[in-house]
Amino acid sequence: MPLIERETKTGNSRQVGDYNLTPLTQVLKIQTPGHHARFIWNRPKAIVVKTPDGQEQVLPVIDVTRIAIWAMLAGGLLGAIAVRILFWNR
Amino acid sequence: MTDEIIVNKRGEAGMDMVQDTMEEFLAAADVRAVYGEPIQHDDTTIIPTAEVLSGLFFGIGSGGGAGTDEDSSKPMQGSAGGGGGGGRVLSRPVAVVVASPEGVRVEPVIDITKIALAGLTALGFMVGMMFRMSSRRRSLPEIEN
Repeated sequence: MPLIERETKTGNSRQVGDYNLTPLTQVLKIQTPGHHARFIWNRPKAIVVKTPDGQEQVLPVIDVTRIAIWAMLAGGLLGAIAVRILFWNR
Repeated sequence: MTDEIIVNKRGEAGMDMVQDTMEEFLAAADVRAVYGEPIQHDDTTIIPTAEVLSGLFFGIGSGGGAGTDEDSSKPMQGSAGGGGGGGRVLSRPVAVVVASPEGVRVEPVIDITKIALAGLTALGFMVGMMFRMSSRRRSLPEIEN
């Protein structure tokens, strides 16, 4: 097993009403040399929807909370840099 | 020699147990851990989704030694082994899949508290930088021509 492994897993399809739903997940596995520690990040990636007329649609699962948190922290960092530049020139 | 073999066997057994635990731990992080069981409500079915973060670590060691007792001058042997470890699994809701006769859609789960905390941290960082820079300006000596 490599030290860092990233894979997309497909779950079992479920029939919900007229739709056939297939879940997809993205797994990130990290392990230290010597196999003394392992870290797994498993998150939903998308849902594949099959309609009775045979059409297939992929609905991505977007983590709005994570995007908002990273945007806030990036904004704070950029804001701090902007404040530093502005005060430095005065 | 016999004790050394026993120590090695104990160590291997311990490693096997840890490896088995690791395998079970890895198996737990599959698709079923992320997508929950469907919840039926009238014509609508809801499937909760969550991200799972898990970490596991361990350490194991064993050793043996031989020597002689000063009083009886008999050869003495000893061995010992030990190990330890820990782990944690964190889970956080990400979205819900809503399947109704109108269609299938993914509704995000928004954690306002976490976003607000991140916003306050970012704001604090900016205000802190502002105070630091203004206090630095005040502390600089004025140069007279």
